[in-house]
Amino acid sequence: MTGYLVAILTFVSLAVLIGFALNVQWGQAGMINFGLAGFYGVGAYTAAILSKQGVDGFTATVAAIALTAAISAVVSLATIRLREDYLAITTLAFSESVRLVLMNETWLTGGTNGIRDIPRPLVGLIGGQYYEAFFLALCLALVAIVYAVLDRIIRSPFGRAMRAVREDDVVAATLGKNVLALRVKAFAIGGAVIGLAGALHAYYFSYIDPGEFAGFITVYAFMTVIVGGKGSNRGLLVGACTVMVLLEGTRFLKDFVPFLSAQQAASLRLALIGAGLILILIYRPDGLAREYRLSVQNPSRPDANS
Amino acid sequence: MMQALLNGLVSGLLIALPAIALSLTYGILNFANFSIGAMITTGAYLAYIANTSFGAPIVLAAPIAAIVLALIAIAIQRGVYRQIRNADHVTLLVASMGVAFVLENVLRFFYGADVRTLDVPVARPLIWHGLRLNHEQLQIAVASLSAMAAIAFLLKRTRLGRAMRAISDDPDLAEVRGIERARTVDWTWAISGVLTALAGVMIALDGIVDPLIGMNYLVSVFAAAVIGGLGNPFGAVVGALIIGLVEETSALAVSTTYRQGISFVVLVLVLLMRPQGLFGAVRIRR
Repeated sequence: MTGYLVAILTFVSLAVLIGFALNVQWGQAGMINFGLAGFYGVGAYTAAILSKQGVDGFTATVAAIALTAAISAVVSLATIRLREDYLAITTLAFSESVRLVLMNETWLTGGTNGIRDIPRPLVGLIGGQYYEAFFLALCLALVAIVYAVLDRIIRSPFGRAMRAVREDDVVAATLGKNVLALRVKAFAIGGAVIGLAGALHAYYFSYIDPGEFAGFITVYAFMTVIVGGKGSNRGLLVGACTVMVLLEGTRFLKDFVPFLSAQQAASLRLALIGAGLILILIYRPDGLAREYRLSVQNPSRPDANS
Repeated sequence: MMQALLNGLVSGLLIALPAIALSLTYGILNFANFSIGAMITTGAYLAYIANTSFGAPIVLAAPIAAIVLALIAIAIQRGVYRQIRNADHVTLLVASMGVAFVLENVLRFFYGADVRTLDVPVARPLIWHGLRLNHEQLQIAVASLSAMAAIAFLLKRTRLGRAMRAISDDPDLAEVRGIERARTVDWTWAISGVLTALAGVMIALDGIVDPLIGMNYLVSVFAAAVIGGLGNPFGAVVGALIIGLVEETSALAVSTTYRQGISFVVLVLVLLMRPQGLFGAVRIRR
């Protein structure tokens, strides 16, 4: 039971990290990322491949963070002059391309067989017995650090400029803000956090394959952020826990409905998660917590959109 | 080479239908429908159900799939998108991703991940001056061209088409002129459903039915619509032909598994050089 709890809390911390990343990119800078899964995969595979080559865990993680951040910056450059829809399309297409590379470049990624026996950092020092607990502590510490760093960024002038770009980039540009640089930086910061989460994923499971970096990761992340309240990192903690309870709760579905096969139970779970996302968007679009703001919320415009 | 061009043309005609659908919904609702891949898959499965479970021949199964998917699309519009119409368009994007997730996994729930094929007679390919043209390809070309002609007629000559173009041009003005928005939107979704279902049936005809077939075309469809200028259905056709040709001719140099990767590269190049697409109006907000 303790083991199960430790595992769940580790999943929650990974979900929180991905949520933090999306919260910077989407919540703060207004840049939508439908390719989270691809960036996550880049982080995980970088860490895994380097570790298999004998690089130590710390260096490999730093490399994963750096590479994911750099790729995020490049991808965001491609759509910098356009509105969010195009970034959504580009990131999604990027994510699909990553999946293709992961599946087909067998010499590098092991193809659909994935990479197994990824060496876990410090396992010799800690010992296998306490490793799970140690890893959870490591994840929680990293969550705390990332939270603190992001909080500083959000409250800094850079954070304000980021939100200004999100609300109205023309005004921000008129006031002398370099919109392009701000967007690229915001996307790269998010990318760095995703890279970190990816590396942790690779070390935790010590086995990765392309199937783990499919669209559902992105859906989870969006659900976490929307439940928590877009833009609010504190709400995100609540959001991630809620989503994880839902995820884990639906896992027991197949115990109650014994006539379903494992695959059917899995699809039903994912379908319910998608439906949950839609219901939240309809009934609680602001999530549980609001973003930290100095001013009042602008009144919603009566809109003719159908 | 000629063979690759021919295949590319047919593949472009196939991509054109969902690309038109994407452009229509984008023009009228102002959001990019990310569930279009899942809708293609749903169309293929609907035809598969009509074809194998009810024994309908494919000429009957295809229209059945189209009508049922049109109804499903209207239901999704009323049940989901209309409920959040006051939110910004990014919320709609996220919602459409949720819709895709639900559709795909409901199909998986009932049919699993097994690969299935439609029950259609196998015929010899036509050979003309060394060029091979499958019967499936011929069917794709004929069906796609007739669907496009129907859409062109609808947009240019009918009341509904005029209403759709009016809303796409200026929703407020259209509203003032008494165009019934909700009804037009419903019809747009119905047309979108018909087009994507037909594309799904064609993909199934030419190959297999599995839960990911639509996803495999998603990037190509988006690339086609963006090249044509999002919101411009006629541009989408040209974009689709370009994507089809590029994908098939690139297969001579790059492994076919990277078909979507090629579309991604084309998409990025277009966005960098001509972000409004080849035929898009220069109305893009910075």
